[in-house]
Amino acid sequence: MTPQRSAYTRRTVLKSTAAATAVTHLTSAPAIADDGGTSEITLSVNGQRHRVAVEPRVTLLDALRERLGLTGTKKGCDRGECGACTVLVDGERIKSCLTLAVMRQGAEITTVEGLARGEELHPVQEAFIRRDAFQCGACTPGQIMSAVACINEGHTGSEAEIREWMSGNLCRCAAYQNIVAAVADAAKETPR
Amino acid sequence: MTTTVATQGGIGTNAQRPDGALKARGEFAYSSDLWHEDMVWGVTLRSPHPYARITSIDITEALRVPGVQAVLTHEDVPGTNIYGLEHPDQPVLAEDVVRYQGEPVALVAADHPETARRAMKRIEVAYEVLPPVVNTEDAAHGRAEPLHPNGNVVRHVKVRHGPQDVRADVVVTGEYEVGMQDQAFLGPESGLAVPADDGSVDLYIATQWLHADQRQIAVALGLPPEKVRLTLSGVGGAFGGREDLSMQVHACMLALRTGKPVKMVYNREESFYGHVHRHPARMYYEHGATRNGKIVYVKARIYLDGGAYASSTGAVVANAATLGVGPYDVPSVTVDCWGVYTNNPPCGAMRGFGAVQAAFAYESQMDRLADAVGLDPVEVRIRNAMSEGAVMPTGQVVDSPAPVVELLTLVRDKPLPAKGNDLTDMPGGVSNTTHGEGVVRGVGYGVSIKNVGFSDSFDDYSTVRVRLSVIGGQAVASVHTAAVEVGQGLVTVLQQITRTELGVDVVTIEPMDTSIGDAGSTSASRQTYVTGGALRAACAAVRAALFERIGHTDLPLDHDKIVEVLGTDVIDEVVEWRHRPTYRLDPETGQGNAHVQYAFAAHRAVVDVDVELGLVKVVELVCAQDVGKAINPEAVLGQIQGGTAQGLGLAVMEEIQLADGKIRNPSFTDYLIPTVLDMPPMVIDVLERPDPHAPYGLRGVGEPPTISSTPAIVAAIRAATGMALTRVPVRPEHITETS
Amino acid sequence: MKSFAYVSARDVPTAVSAIAGSPNAKFLGGGTNLVDLMRGNIEQPDTIVDITRLPLTGVDLLPDGGVRIGALVRNSHLAAHPLIRSRYPVLSQAILLGASAQLRNMATVGGNLLQRTRCLYFYDTAAACNKRAPGSGCDAIGGFNRNHAILGVSDNCLATHPSDMCVALAMLDATVEVESTRGVRRIPMNEFHVLPGDTPHVETSLAADELVTAVELPSVAVAANSRYRKVRDRASYAFALVSVAAALEVTGTTVTQVRLALGGVSAKPWRATKAEEVLLGAPATEESFRQAAAAELAAATARPGNEFKIGLAERTIVAVLRELVTKGDAA
Repeated sequence: MTPQRSAYTRRTVLKSTAAATAVTHLTSAPAIADDGGTSEITLSVNGQRHRVAVEPRVTLLDALRERLGLTGTKKGCDRGECGACTVLVDGERIKSCLTLAVMRQGAEITTVEGLARGEELHPVQEAFIRRDAFQCGACTPGQIMSAVACINEGHTGSEAEIREWMSGNLCRCAAYQNIVAAVADAAKETPR
Repeated sequence: MTTTVATQGGIGTNAQRPDGALKARGEFAYSSDLWHEDMVWGVTLRSPHPYARITSIDITEALRVPGVQAVLTHEDVPGTNIYGLEHPDQPVLAEDVVRYQGEPVALVAADHPETARRAMKRIEVAYEVLPPVVNTEDAAHGRAEPLHPNGNVVRHVKVRHGPQDVRADVVVTGEYEVGMQDQAFLGPESGLAVPADDGSVDLYIATQWLHADQRQIAVALGLPPEKVRLTLSGVGGAFGGREDLSMQVHACMLALRTGKPVKMVYNREESFYGHVHRHPARMYYEHGATRNGKIVYVKARIYLDGGAYASSTGAVVANAATLGVGPYDVPSVTVDCWGVYTNNPPCGAMRGFGAVQAAFAYESQMDRLADAVGLDPVEVRIRNAMSEGAVMPTGQVVDSPAPVVELLTLVRDKPLPAKGNDLTDMPGGVSNTTHGEGVVRGVGYGVSIKNVGFSDSFDDYSTVRVRLSVIGGQAVASVHTAAVEVGQGLVTVLQQITRTELGVDVVTIEPMDTSIGDAGSTSASRQTYVTGGALRAACAAVRAALFERIGHTDLPLDHDKIVEVLGTDVIDEVVEWRHRPTYRLDPETGQGNAHVQYAFAAHRAVVDVDVELGLVKVVELVCAQDVGKAINPEAVLGQIQGGTAQGLGLAVMEEIQLADGKIRNPSFTDYLIPTVLDMPPMVIDVLERPDPHAPYGLRGVGEPPTISSTPAIVAAIRAATGMALTRVPVRPEHITETS
Repeated sequence: MKSFAYVSARDVPTAVSAIAGSPNAKFLGGGTNLVDLMRGNIEQPDTIVDITRLPLTGVDLLPDGGVRIGALVRNSHLAAHPLIRSRYPVLSQAILLGASAQLRNMATVGGNLLQRTRCLYFYDTAAACNKRAPGSGCDAIGGFNRNHAILGVSDNCLATHPSDMCVALAMLDATVEVESTRGVRRIPMNEFHVLPGDTPHVETSLAADELVTAVELPSVAVAANSRYRKVRDRASYAFALVSVAAALEVTGTTVTQVRLALGGVSAKPWRATKAEEVLLGAPATEESFRQAAAAELAAATARPGNEFKIGLAERTIVAVLRELVTKGDAA
């Protein structure tokens, strides 16, 4: 370990070095300060309320990633074209890159970090791991959030239906066959 | 030889990814997720022109923007302003000329990315716009303005094998084109450079090859390599697109100048400009054969557009040339392959690396030959298929299994899928573009050959350190290497090999960085082979050290014994490991033992084509691939599915659209990659015919399926439509055009 | 993205007065198009009026048998609504073939009407585009125009309207209700979008200060036998090369009612009135369908890059009509 590494205060920096080892020294992240023109808003994310100062132009995705340190939601295109930034807002899946944070005050936002209960993973997360439904993993948080919604919507009646309703989430590693299997598995385990 | 006790999760098992839970929880840190106190943001000003002379650069106004920390141009490059993967020809920041649209010209660091972008727009660059060179054949044959001092030919590989100028009873010719494909990894380029007090720098980066980055960065920064330390961050896919530098030098320059950590993240559009692409190709083929369909000769001219800078064009050219007749016995081969400079975007590594382009042509030719001699497409391939002991067009004797016939037979003999009644199964997806009227089914085949590892005399090696210690009563092995995980599952495989070799369950993988020796690139389907080989050797060294302590070597090695023998000691072994050497191709004849290993895959594609509207539904893809030894069978299937899907994309939708050197579709709305609806279920046979020269007999896995799926799908569309379809991607208008 | 002031409106009068007198203010609904355009600096409003909290989310049956749809009804909700699925299946189909599940959860009816083109040159701020920068020229004309329009084009613009939903609305003769501080106005769907002519930057007949409040669908009995087909480069999540919305009634062997609209071929959802004229009263045969399609496309002007769209549009029309005959027989 190089000495510089101890300077990091955010878990993600540490995690990047710990793909296959135990994670150590987790501490919380200070938010990035913004320049002027900001207003204080309240975002309710994964059951926790956060006061954040944002400019109106800050997207929900950037607010999550840069202000709240919730980097699990990924930015694959920032233009609504890939699905990596999918989150749930009041239970419905949306693309967080095309919505402004100020528009989502008062809504209940769920990100991939909000699925597990402590060490216990959400059935969709379990199924993705069990089915090896990812490789690089960059699309995975979006796939998982989309899958949670897809199951809740009842769009998992057949493999074809799963494919149709998961087609807004690109996976360049093309773990698609395993994703479909994982969604089907999780749908069976999720009471509706 | 000592037997070790098999533990759970050793080689041959479907051990789970050690990073799986982090990825599923959203806690795996990709390079774009990194954050550092006091960090500032870097952005890149790029040329809007494919070819122009820079007459002046004025950064005055940009520096005045509040919050700006630094604005840098070529004058600020501390070392040599030139880099390149194979040979240095690319400026870190353009000086007097820009050679492609998107070429970096200046850098800005500011305390907020929006501020940096605003300042970037205030940099005044005066260009004298020049007419771009975009025609590959003109560039190859001296009919275009030279873009580099030595002209526009990056490499011309000639392969002359067997008697030349022979004649045959049956001759089929064809001209084929492959469009420019993008790697389109989901996580755009990003990195974080952290300056240190002693003038050195740490770079946290998503890359395919830490040490190649380090070497190039050090030269550009004018620092000794040890002052440029790289650590791998989470990599959001690579597929060849991260083998060249993107912002590595830029981020370090800004960090060293500002004295602050600098984060750079490309957006999707910039990513299209920020990495090399797959070489577009134009190929002229002539196959001569007997009336029985036995190939007598192949003549080919292949033109690959390398774009503005060389990148790995030289190696891509060598692949296309040496693998240019496919996995077939061909007694007479005349191949000329050119890779050239143009003012198109630079092209370099992408999964399949030169073999993809040639395979589309030679497999299309095999189907034409089948037609010409009245044979089934599989039969004509089987009649010509190479096998172990075959002589390649390079003169190299294939000295390990080459089960081409078996692979073809396997895919041919799978039962064909029933015609679907489910409307969502029809071309056009759930849009039910057809109810089945006008829908024609087609079946097509493709088979591929790919070299594994680096070829052509490259010193291809990897370095691995294994430490064995006892922690809390448990034996723990830790593995350290600079070989990078890009999602393919290398970390899983390294754990599996260590478990099998040392008989310990707990294996930790250390951060991948440059504090250990070079491991080579995660490319060319080589890491499991080369770093796996190095790891096996390192484990053997650890075992030998253990045995030395025990005093004899014939007992099984198990966990309790290790704990007992080791006590509080640590065994620490570093091994540098090479595969057998390869040799330089003769420049006049293309002869030489240039490749270390060959890998083979075959595909059968079944498509439904709505011939009225030109829509294609790939109904099923069957693949058979020889992997020598499946270290992790599930990961092998993942590679075959992923590679096949990228081949499907090239077959029916993916192309970077260029107009006068400019990319017209730098987005995921306009550059389409397959969705889950486009990629059909696969039926896969994995053969394990060990290569006696390779660790565990394994063969590289990642690339062959990308190569053969494209020609198989296009062949199936041809079978359904009767159209010639000599260009990929095939679009609706190509299917419906009247000819 | 450029900075802007943000206002959230709770009712329609507040919303329309917030935008009145601010020529560079924009209403923001689902954001799927406007935020994207703002991110690319193609749209640079100085004020955003967030209208997502306005009470315009109803889907209601009208006394005359039509349906009134609030402008803020989400695409996903509209497509799933029982009234739409039963009475206007073509509208549900069109919506579900657009974008992705996530985007349909965000996109509104009003926003879909105002969706801007996906012309590559409109999106490239370095390119000439009369729509984005009036008077700058049109790089699509001599450039990459495979996705571009073939009907109603001008020498100034080849852009297409990208919506699927609007093609169904055009076929159904919907009416758009708009409101400003000056009052309420109703615009027939066919007059809502306008052809480029010499002013490609003018895309609709909506005034800058007007808010789309609702869309009304008339009672259309023939809509029960209707269909939307979309031809595209990918099976999902891609814009149309060509799309067709059609409704057909055949009595005996004669076409007694027909409605046709095309997408992906023009700057507006293209109501195929010429084809309808040919078909009405004609025998419901393949030959009539071909004649009708040819009549509609006779006025098409193509460039080398999009010439294929003419034939593709004709064949798609024929295929949809053929299917509706078969379906009508079965019913």
